[in-house]
Amino acid sequence: MTQVATHPVTQPKAEAIERGAVVKTVSLSKSIDGRAILCDLNVEIAAGGYVAILGGNGAGKSTLLRILSTLVPPSSGRIELFGDTATAASVDLRKRIGLIGHQVMLYRDLSARENLEFFAKLYGLKDPIARASRMLEMSGLSARAADPVRNFSRGMLQRVAIARALVHDPELLLADEPFTGLDAPSIASLEHLLAHLNDAGKTIVLVNHDIEQSLRLAERAIVLRGGRVAVDQSTTRLYAREVLSEVLS
Amino acid sequence: MTTNTQRLGSGLALPLASLRQIAFLVEKDLRIESRSRQTLGLVTVLGVLIVTVLGLGLGAQNAMTAFSATAVLWVAYLFSGVLCFEKTMAVERNDAVLAALLMAPIDRGVIYLAKLASNLVLILAVAAIVTPVGVLFFGFDLTAAPVAFAVVMILSIVGFAAVGTLFSAMVSSSRLQGGLLAMMVFPITLPLVLVSTQLMLLTFRDHVAPGGTGLGVLIAFDLIFLTVSWLVFEWVLEP
Repeated sequence: MTQVATHPVTQPKAEAIERGAVVKTVSLSKSIDGRAILCDLNVEIAAGGYVAILGGNGAGKSTLLRILSTLVPPSSGRIELFGDTATAASVDLRKRIGLIGHQVMLYRDLSARENLEFFAKLYGLKDPIARASRMLEMSGLSARAADPVRNFSRGMLQRVAIARALVHDPELLLADEPFTGLDAPSIASLEHLLAHLNDAGKTIVLVNHDIEQSLRLAERAIVLRGGRVAVDQSTTRLYAREVLSEVLS
Repeated sequence: MTTNTQRLGSGLALPLASLRQIAFLVEKDLRIESRSRQTLGLVTVLGVLIVTVLGLGLGAQNAMTAFSATAVLWVAYLFSGVLCFEKTMAVERNDAVLAALLMAPIDRGVIYLAKLASNLVLILAVAAIVTPVGVLFFGFDLTAAPVAFAVVMILSIVGFAAVGTLFSAMVSSSRLQGGLLAMMVFPITLPLVLVSTQLMLLTFRDHVAPGGTGLGVLIAFDLIFLTVSWLVFEWVLEP
């Protein structure tokens, strides 16, 4: 159960860290139907960071991620992304964010290539066809590129979903339970990809229910309890048992 | 950052990039429809069935007047349209793909205009099949003013689709969906339907091209609901 994670700092990551905070929440609160989901949250995530958001069911993890993605507005307080206040109208900021959800967010009647090309076009990429090919290659799905994604297994779907989230080369990657429903090889492959992206300087915010896995992958863990930050520490100084007791208490 | 005020401030001008994004979205919708054939086939069959069933029922009683025949056509458009709006919005709801769309750097007004264009293509395709069925079934004579009839139909369907596209987005996250959508769209489009029915009647029964006032009402309805829907769309679209 002991986690002693070591995270060597690569050159791109070191450069990213110098850019300062990518995410900053200021007195962020969110209520849904009168129930407080997040309360007065003040969190700062540096560029190039790999942060796991942990907590029990209903702790506000996914809500926080949806607010950070600008999909859902906060009830009060504000979020700053890349130094700018973010709202649903922050079109330019959204170019710098990628979102992986536990739902695949793909059009099932389109092929993997068509899905990727469609989103590449929406993001205004110069050569969407080449970019889609590159992402298919990265996902190991070039051979199945023309197949409708409705015929794909859960693991393959998730690989396309990740390629979709990365098609515009975002600086901030928000991942909400990305390992859900994946088999062991797919989990290992996704873990490797996230580590590789972080080494390349991308900031990763991971919401995950697997505490041990999160402590192994991320550099920092934020544990939410009742919509508030219960623990915010480097993963090298945290034990899964300790996090679990915070989640359960 | 783009807001409605800024959009209005820029003289309602759609930049080229937005037009390109609309084209991508419409192309995607039509491609999905061509693959799944879920919407057009279903909606067309529903429209033809409504015309046939109501036509047979009313015709059997010798009660079919030109007005009721025109109304039957509108009943077919309305129910087919509502089903079409629901289906095209469901494509975005499945697998939460709407969240990915909302994450893309596009204005939400662009999503509205694209969805409206997709709906228009589908409903006009349905109307192009259902209307000739009605013409044959009820013995309408369109020879006096075929262009005027087409203009009335297109203007009416544009207004109907403008309202339907907005409300389909609004109710798409609700469990009631179709029923709720019909309850919201039918009352709002009532003035449009009444005027349109009267104008269509002029061409069918009186063989007269509709005058300026009636067409003016249709155009005003279209402009008002297109503008309002475009402006409020970002507030009704929940991921």
